[in-house]
Amino acid sequence: MVEKNVGLKKAFIYFWATVIILFLLFPFFVMISTMLKDFNQVYSKPPFWIPKRIAWENFKVIWTKYPMAKYFLNSFIIASGSTILNTLLCIPAAYAVARLRFKGRHFLLYMFLVVQMFSPVIVIISLFKIMSKLHLLNTYISLILVNSVFTLAFNIWMLNGYFQSIPKEIEEAALIDGCNRVSTIYKIMIPIAMPGVVTTVIYSFIASWNEFMFALTFIKTMDKRPLTVGLYNFIGRWMVQWQYLMAASFFALIPVVVLFFLIEKQLVQGLAGGAVKG
Amino acid sequence: MDTALAKKGHFWTTESKLAYLLLIPGTVFLILFMFYPIVYVFLMSLFKTNKFGKILKFCGICNFKQIFLIKDFWAVLGRSFLWTGLAVLTKTLFGIVIALLLNVEYKGRRVYRTLLILPWASSVPISVMLWQWVYNADFGLLNQTLKMLHITQHPPYWLAYPIPAFFAAIWVDIWIGIPFMSLVFLAGLQAIPKDIYESAVVDGVNQWQKFRFITLPLLKNILVIATLLSTLWTFNDFNTIYILTKGGPINTTDILITFIYKYSFNFLRFGPASAMAVITFFILLGVSIIYSRFYFKGEE
Repeated sequence: MVEKNVGLKKAFIYFWATVIILFLLFPFFVMISTMLKDFNQVYSKPPFWIPKRIAWENFKVIWTKYPMAKYFLNSFIIASGSTILNTLLCIPAAYAVARLRFKGRHFLLYMFLVVQMFSPVIVIISLFKIMSKLHLLNTYISLILVNSVFTLAFNIWMLNGYFQSIPKEIEEAALIDGCNRVSTIYKIMIPIAMPGVVTTVIYSFIASWNEFMFALTFIKTMDKRPLTVGLYNFIGRWMVQWQYLMAASFFALIPVVVLFFLIEKQLVQGLAGGAVKG
Repeated sequence: MDTALAKKGHFWTTESKLAYLLLIPGTVFLILFMFYPIVYVFLMSLFKTNKFGKILKFCGICNFKQIFLIKDFWAVLGRSFLWTGLAVLTKTLFGIVIALLLNVEYKGRRVYRTLLILPWASSVPISVMLWQWVYNADFGLLNQTLKMLHITQHPPYWLAYPIPAFFAAIWVDIWIGIPFMSLVFLAGLQAIPKDIYESAVVDGVNQWQKFRFITLPLLKNILVIATLLSTLWTFNDFNTIYILTKGGPINTTDILITFIYKYSFNFLRFGPASAMAVITFFILLGVSIIYSRFYFKGEE
């Protein structure tokens, strides 16, 4: 009796888990189906799932006839630039709030948490004006600057948690051995907190790789567009070459999806705080 | 003695000097690109501006008066709350169900968990473009599938009419948010000690009662924090609406965030746009202060 119940319960779980996963992955199936078709198969009525002929040429066309390589490079430059800047700003700040005692520490922590929730839309009007005053519109630098700032608060928060989890004794021993406070940061603290540093590095890279609104607003010429805006401009012509767009999206997704899986657990914990530590 | 020393940082002990030194770079950036722009948008909301966003002359609350008279503004404000409420509720329900399904031991569970994360891992602008093609009424595979499964023979023209477009857009937002909700709740479920349930089984409690009276109360903290976070994200979701429908057909799917953007960069009316940004700022500030309270509560 009990045995039968367990089997039934398992079947129930497998069934629903499969249904939900298939349901959630639906658009990705559409992507794969479309990127393997040629134009005539994409625009046929009624539409069908399995391509009659696999159009491998799509993967060539997006690199040769469209500026995919340029978009990729632009995204890479912008994301790397903002990641480097973000990391340089975030490590010292996170160390200070995690380890040092000073007036306003609690207020600052609180403020970082609140600030990360603000929508960029609130400040985009002002930032647009600032960038135009500084003659930075239509440059990589404008995006590097804003992207690094919008992940800064959250990254300081996450790294703060990692630094705090390092036992104080390790640092004290290093201080006694003749390290000064600054050299303990990069000789002791950063190596031990490496998983946390990697998480923040990956997170800020992903965030700028995926950023859309600032790039749409600040960048006006094709040669500086990152992938997100570049692909967005595929749409809007009277007939979209969806097979190319899907093939291009597939390539654009690979790096971020791979990186995301590396930090997914830390991200959930960082966002939900003490509530998930249990 | 140690605690007495550690209790309060005096302003110019070396430790706090170092702290301020280390905090300078990050803080300068936050001030320049976050606080100054916020102050600036507050100022701008009190001035008349031309179509280049240049400040012309002080006019007090004129921009606020003006937006309160726009009929669309109230519709958009209402829709923002409807959008947020409906999406967060749906994400939470999906999240709980999926977390419960993943909290049982079985073969292949890790595969399900990995696949589940994909909508979150994927780049939002690209996902939304993908959905736009999925929703295509003539050549999209969604409507074809609905017909094939005999769900409906006359599926809607998703993005062409206000109501279907709203639901199409909100579903994309929900779809992006489901993985996070499921993972947080799963982490919460896994933190509940197993022996609590075992004693309940002895007492002859059924599945629903187990969930209602044991699981749910223990998940309460995490439920609050996850829904607050999701509320902020959903309210701020610019990409989904802007890329999928651009707020159309005729502003019927706009929420506050996309409306502000369109008012500034498409209609070039920076004054009223700033006023709306100020209102949005206070809404977000309110929710994020509540979120921070709960975050710290969990921390302690």
